Amino acid sequence: MSTKASPMSGVKRHHDGIQKEKGAGASPSPFMPMFETFRDELDEHHDRRERIIKASRDITAASKKIVRSLKSEIPAKILSEVQERSVAMQNQFESIAPDLAGLNAWRYQRQISGGIQEYMEAISFQHYLRHQSLITIEEAAKSLPATIILTADDYVLGIFDLVGELMRFAITTIATTGALPGTQSSSGEHNVLEDLRALRTSFEALDTTSCGGTGLGKDVGKKMEVMKTCVEKVETAVYGLTIRGSERPKGWIPDLGDQAVAVESY
Amino acid sequence: MASSSESGMVNARIFEDLQTKIDEDAEVREQIRAILQTLERQGRHAQSALSRAHSTPAANLQPVIAAAESSIKEQIESIRTLSSVASNFPYYKYISTATVIVYVKFSSPIYRYNGLWTREVQNVIFAVLLCGWLGGLPMKDKAAEPGRLLTIEEVGEILNVPVNLKDRDAFHISIEEYLQSLISLIDELARLAVNSVTLGDYQRPLQISQFVKDLHAGFQILNLKNDSLRRRSDSIKYSVKKIEDIVYDLSLRNLVPK
Repeated sequence: MSTKASPMSGVKRHHDGIQKEKGAGASPSPFMPMFETFRDELDEHHDRRERIIKASRDITAASKKIVRSLKSEIPAKILSEVQERSVAMQNQFESIAPDLAGLNAWRYQRQISGGIQEYMEAISFQHYLRHQSLITIEEAAKSLPATIILTADDYVLGIFDLVGELMRFAITTIATTGALPGTQSSSGEHNVLEDLRALRTSFEALDTTSCGGTGLGKDVGKKMEVMKTCVEKVETAVYGLTIRGSERPKGWIPDLGDQAVAVESY
Repeated sequence: MASSSESGMVNARIFEDLQTKIDEDAEVREQIRAILQTLERQGRHAQSALSRAHSTPAANLQPVIAAAESSIKEQIESIRTLSSVASNFPYYKYISTATVIVYVKFSSPIYRYNGLWTREVQNVIFAVLLCGWLGGLPMKDKAAEPGRLLTIEEVGEILNVPVNLKDRDAFHISIEEYLQSLISLIDELARLAVNSVTLGDYQRPLQISQFVKDLHAGFQILNLKNDSLRRRSDSIKYSVKKIEDIVYDLSLRNLVPK
């Protein structure tokens, strides 16, 4: 090596043989100032991007915890826990709101998208338990800091996940109380299965073929199948309730273990 | 849907609005795609015009440059159209969420998030950079001269669009796009170095060597993450080596002009 390098004996080397940077010496690249600007800009961009990814993950985790603790009646203890997490999540959103201002809202949409979808799932579930209706995109958007956009894509994909949550909610309630959760009102009975079917028909009517393989079009196919399976699971459970429920002594707990596991693992 | 929406779960308007949004989005994409088709065709013209530089001695480059300049002029017109359509919408919207279906056919089936137009824009910038390097595209305050690098600001001026926008949302050229095009320029110059020798031009490889080394030094101070820019910039060192080999071959045979 060293003999080969000898024709280039003018090259200065560090003690470990690595060639010394030429830049410091004779002729630095005339483009250096330009690249230094680029470097600063790109560093800024990467930092911002990473902050957003981290916040998105934290929001995802908080949303999942909220969803898990939310159940029909919402006891005071759970309610306060949920509120605590909601506040933490709001703080997360606030912390990255400046990073997502103006031009950058769409620039980092892909990084925050996952967190927003989970957030949508959590607040739509919460909204459902309170009002028995689907949260609108405007209501959902209002709960976020102003600079953070709620895209139609994230809204729809979050609602798809809500179906899974409602399924779990319905199955657990059936298993523990022997009845399908719902309310009686002047307009008649209104239960979670009807709501799930309403969601299903709405989703089925949504035409996303124009998206091609982009954005929504990419995820809808898979989510649609999962959503249908969820609705069918509840339908089967209600069928079982209808056909066997009358034979069941009050207070009898069905074969919770198996079913609950199968549902959770889904 | 009618009977179930009466139950109050799903406000029918929610999904109607969603459908409207989806349809509008598709329309915009169609509109942009039509412009991109034109740009693609013009890009091929510019590319083939510039390709003739590889078989033309430096002294006779003028007609090649003139042909490239007129192709670029057409591209500038398309960029203007693209910019006016695209500026109606958030700049990054179609960059970040769109997959270019056209390209999926020709590449791996994995979805590529190329953005709708960034690839075509990179091609235009590349054509401008190469034409400028060859000695075309004189600027108001900077005469055309072979071997010069057009800065991102100058490219923006030639294409008549803003660059590296931060304070407002409109169509612009991003730093990443400029850097991507620089890498294409380096690749192309490596090829030109080889072909210059074939044409008997022993001076130009030296000029290319210095130019590419300077750019390489610049790229080395960037902290690139594991993205497409990083992967492509890894190829610069091979171009540098290729050009160094040519210079070595020339100097070994005493062909380096004094």
